[in-house]
Amino acid sequence: MIRLDNVSYSYEKGGGVSNVNLSLGDDEYAFLIGPTGSGKTTLLRLIYMDLIPQVGKVEIDKFKSNNIKPRRIPFLRRKIGMVFQDYNLLNDRNLFENIALPLHVIGVEKDEIVERVNESIEEVGLEGKEDHLPMELSGGEQQRACVARALVKDPDIILADEPTGNLDPVTSFELIKLLEEVNREGTAILMASHNYNLIKGRGHRIIEIQNGSVRQS
Amino acid sequence: MDKMMFLFSEGLKNLWRHKLTAFSAIFSTFLTLAITGSLIIASENTHKVIEYLRDKYKIEVFFKQNVSDGRVKELANEFKSIRGIRSTTVITKSDAEKIFKSQFGENIMDMVGYNPLPASCVLNIVKHQTDPIKIRPIIDRLRSFPEVDEVNYQGRLITRIESYYQKFVQGMTGLLILVMLISILIISNTVRLTIYAKKELIGALQLIGATRAFVKAPFVLEGIFHGLIGALLASILLIGGLSLGEGIVYSVTGLKLQYDAMFLISVLCGTGILISLLGSSRAISRFLKK
Repeated sequence: MIRLDNVSYSYEKGGGVSNVNLSLGDDEYAFLIGPTGSGKTTLLRLIYMDLIPQVGKVEIDKFKSNNIKPRRIPFLRRKIGMVFQDYNLLNDRNLFENIALPLHVIGVEKDEIVERVNESIEEVGLEGKEDHLPMELSGGEQQRACVARALVKDPDIILADEPTGNLDPVTSFELIKLLEEVNREGTAILMASHNYNLIKGRGHRIIEIQNGSVRQS
Repeated sequence: MDKMMFLFSEGLKNLWRHKLTAFSAIFSTFLTLAITGSLIIASENTHKVIEYLRDKYKIEVFFKQNVSDGRVKELANEFKSIRGIRSTTVITKSDAEKIFKSQFGENIMDMVGYNPLPASCVLNIVKHQTDPIKIRPIIDRLRSFPEVDEVNYQGRLITRIESYYQKFVQGMTGLLILVMLISILIISNTVRLTIYAKKELIGALQLIGATRAFVKAPFVLEGIFHGLIGALLASILLIGGLSLGEGIVYSVTGLKLQYDAMFLISVLCGTGILISLLGSSRAISRFLKK
């Protein structure tokens, strides 16, 4: 599903990734582990084509970074759910509206939006909080809302960039388990983290990145 | 359809969420359109004054003594085909005799034994013309007829009025363009403030797969709402002001102000929407290019 061939990208002020070869299957759950500044976020940005490789090629289904037109990138992103460390929820909208946003973007009918948003909310265990603003939710709840927003559009893959970075160990563990449930239903997960203790021993593939270079387990 | 409704409601909500920036944009649109509307009304009424003055312009052509009445009528018809001439009135020698009698109370035939008054033709100039009326070529053309003895006209007055009118039209056009450009810039900068306040939303929309058009639409719609509200406020001000003021203007100057309320509202709404559309599109496009 995701394939990176000899991908390199370097920023003007240094950093980035070099010569990355990587592939991720349709229902795979993989951790991308490495210290801060090792290139995890850059790699994820290359996958959702926020960055285009200077060398090499990123391929996600029929989308190829070497020939994709900028106006096609939104259609690639509709196949990807994204979860961020800082949640990226909109503070002026309640939980329901935040989760519904991706469905408005792809033009889903109103009735179906209600149905799918409620399903997602139930899946992440936030029933009864639909009218709450993000500020009225705990960190763990906000992150689960973020997962629900990623899930609601039924993505092929979820990219999670340090989703446990602002959470306590117990909530972090719960989030990992939640993503495992999502994965069991057929969605591929690539989760970046610098916390090895959190992910070790869970039986998933670990991709290690250091100074922009990838070593796979 | 639901997508359109969503974008429409986002545009309306933006208006409410950013009351201060919305107020600034609406106020600058309102000011621009109030000035635009005033210029339209002033131009419409100045145009009427010019038409009135042009109606008074007259060229008098006197024919030589030996030109027959029939030939005078033929020549009057030829004069009508000259560019800038609206109508002609023929005064034959016998008409001139009657005019003399009505004005001086005496019969010229009794005074000098024959009719020395020449046949003449009064020419009226076109009223509806935006370009200045060039009087000199008309006079030269009239003088080129061998039957014509003398041509009298208010040359300097006509030239001066036409020149002032042209300067007025040019000044109005220049001012209007300037005001609109300034307004587009103000609206564009005001909308940019809204965009910066909403950059989180724009970022989120881009990450979840919104196209450029989808991201732009609520801001452009918000701009249209600004334009429409500004236009309606300007219309209320101008039409209200005119209703109150036209009686005073009439009593002081004797001039009846001319304006078409529906035309004014349509022009102001159209212009308001256009400048707001240009301003907001410019702002969001520049932001998305970054």
